[in-house]
Amino acid sequence: MNLFKAELRRIARRRLTLVFGILLLAGVVGLAVILASISSKGPSEETLAEAQAQADEMNEQNPDYLDCVEDESYFEDNEMYGWVETDPEYEGMSHKEACEHAVGGWWAEDFIWTYTFDFENEGPFVIVGVMIVAGLVMMLLGSSAIGAEWSSGGMSNLMVWHPNRMRLWGVKLGAALAACAAGVVVLAALAFGLLVLVASLRGEVGVLDGVWWEDTLELVLRTGVLALGMTLLGASLAMLGRHTAIAGGVIAGYLIVGELIVNMVSMNLSMDFPERLSLYTWVGAWITGRVELYGAYSGFNDMTPEVMVITWGDAGVLLGAIVLLFGALATWSFQRRDAA
Amino acid sequence: MPPIIEISGLRKTYRRSFRQPHNALDGLDLEVAAGQVHGFLGPNGSGKTTTLRALLGLIRVDGGTMRIFGEEVPHRLPQVVGRIGAVVESPQFFKHFSGRLTLQLLAESAGIPKDRVESVLEQVGLRDAAKASVKGYSLGMRQRLAVAQALLKQPQLLILDEPANGLDPAGIHHMRELLQWLAHEQGVTVVVSSHLLSEVQQLCDSMTIVSRGRRIVDGSVADIIAGHSGASLSVRFPDAGSLPEAAEALTTAKAGVGAVVERDRLVVTNAPEAAWVTQTLAEAGIYLSELVTQTKNLESVFLELTGTAPQPGQTVQIGQSVAVPETASPIEVPVAVSPDAGPQAGSEAGSEAEEAQR
Ligand SMILES: Nc1ncnc2c1ncn2[C@@H]1O[C@H](COP(=O)(O)OP(=O)(O)OP(=O)(O)O)[C@@H](O)[C@H]1O
Ligand SMILES: [Mg+2]
Repeated sequence: MNLFKAELRRIARRRLTLVFGILLLAGVVGLAVILASISSKGPSEETLAEAQAQADEMNEQNPDYLDCVEDESYFEDNEMYGWVETDPEYEGMSHKEACEHAVGGWWAEDFIWTYTFDFENEGPFVIVGVMIVAGLVMMLLGSSAIGAEWSSGGMSNLMVWHPNRMRLWGVKLGAALAACAAGVVVLAALAFGLLVLVASLRGEVGVLDGVWWEDTLELVLRTGVLALGMTLLGASLAMLGRHTAIAGGVIAGYLIVGELIVNMVSMNLSMDFPERLSLYTWVGAWITGRVELYGAYSGFNDMTPEVMVITWGDAGVLLGAIVLLFGALATWSFQRRDAA
Repeated sequence: MPPIIEISGLRKTYRRSFRQPHNALDGLDLEVAAGQVHGFLGPNGSGKTTTLRALLGLIRVDGGTMRIFGEEVPHRLPQVVGRIGAVVESPQFFKHFSGRLTLQLLAESAGIPKDRVESVLEQVGLRDAAKASVKGYSLGMRQRLAVAQALLKQPQLLILDEPANGLDPAGIHHMRELLQWLAHEQGVTVVVSSHLLSEVQQLCDSMTIVSRGRRIVDGSVADIIAGHSGASLSVRFPDAGSLPEAAEALTTAKAGVGAVVERDRLVVTNAPEAAWVTQTLAEAGIYLSELVTQTKNLESVFLELTGTAPQPGQTVQIGQSVAVPETASPIEVPVAVSPDAGPQAGSEAGSEAEEAQR
């Protein structure tokens, strides 16, 4: 316990922690400010009328549109537009509106440049984005906490103090994960608070009912687990390579070169669902819960493509296995190898 | 009282790809008795640091047994480490932390009260520099910080690898007083590896000298020096022309006696006693003007025992110190080797070493 507290303090007292902390906080606040500045609560009556006038003007240059507006049974009579009657999208629209959409092609929204931040629908994804960035940063911090200890030579001194290597590694990992969890939770909470504030001031909050909470919590929880997994991976790589740069290099190298190679291979290889070679696909499946990959059309007459479904469970198994593999390798190497 | 540290037959082989494996430790033995300052000596690359690392569980060994406080290590190290303070080879610390924070984190991690930090900082003379970050420390300041962290636990066994490294004269003096005080007043057992032989001679009660991963000699410092002093006599003559003649007379008078001309004097080794030399020379009609028994200091004993005495115009290379035969262990001290035989032994050992490397 003493060691765990000391390790947490060691992470907290690093300058890098301070720098990253400030950057992340500034990033979240900056994001909220940007959202607040571009979002507004719907257009005013005046702008709406003006935009409608502009749309009408454009549409009126189209004789078909004028015909449509004049003729209430335009859609029934004109077999080209027969579908409008049954299309659910047109249900409840006034005849003029339907003409705008189906025939004219211009409507008021085309002349109003407003964006309304909708917390209910967009908020969770912004929060998840914040958490992923925070997770990446915490991964860097976690691996640097271990890598810097090795490269500065402090690790062997610490090992003299705490010769039980498994305990030392466990505590270091625990401290890195705890720091990661704390950072991600704090940032997610801050993002949540700020976004609700922005939405209520300059956008729409929407209905945050039980279902919304359930879905959002699930999304956020899975993203949080992803952040922890990334930290574990980063710490393991730093332990294996005994240097922060090695962990960072391996990860960056994979994300850039690895994905490039995957793309090239999948282009030249006639395999089904080449996207499944890319880790991004699996990470996406883990976060969103489900990803569908569309394969080649299977037959001559059959126009439905083959579909491969990756659920978050499948993704969890694969990503978890990768993280555990590196974790086990790092543990084994720390146990066996001489402290140089 | 049983020894505090007992090492026997310790082996460590560094396996290198595409090259011969290298035996850094080749059956090393070491015993350190309680309450003493024990010097651990040897030429560069002879395996001192490797031994201390192995003792502290930093590296795996390929054979041999080690005990500290009677407990098998590294297996039982977690149980005894609380009583051991150690500095292994100029330790490095995280550069952006201050000296005080470095110590505080270590103290906290082992549940040592905070006020120990201040008292060890005071003890090593870093009180005023404790706020500064380690990045800005000089070599000697880092060394002091390292010693401070070793003292933090109030250890019963203190293991210091070249503690004098980088210290100023005042620092060395202070370190000597501190270690002697710890050993003789506080009953702490201290093991120091060092190259400062005059320092070891003043500081240590007993010592072990190693060469190429094996022990060549151990015992009390005084005994070891005494066992090797007086082995050579320096003789001068009024007329330098009589030097070869005198050498001839002495070497023929008794088998085993060595006499070598060294500029304007004759160095005689293995002579039964000084009187025999005067008598023999007088019988040959040669009269000497000066006869001095050369008392040796630790340095010459060390150079002789390790076979690293310098030869004119040549540098003794790493790994050229004497190799101890594998059989007898602990090995008897090769008594009364003439100082001039040292370098020869050294170069022979050197060619052996070169051969071994091929
Ligand atoms: N990590 C390593 N890999 C390969 N060989 C090593 C390693 N560490 C030490 N050695 C070898 O082991 C031998 C003993 O080294 P060690 O550091 O113990 O010497 P030392 O007695 O402490 O020398 P010094 O007086 O210079 O400090 C040397 O020949 C060295 O080359
Ligand atoms: Mg050394």
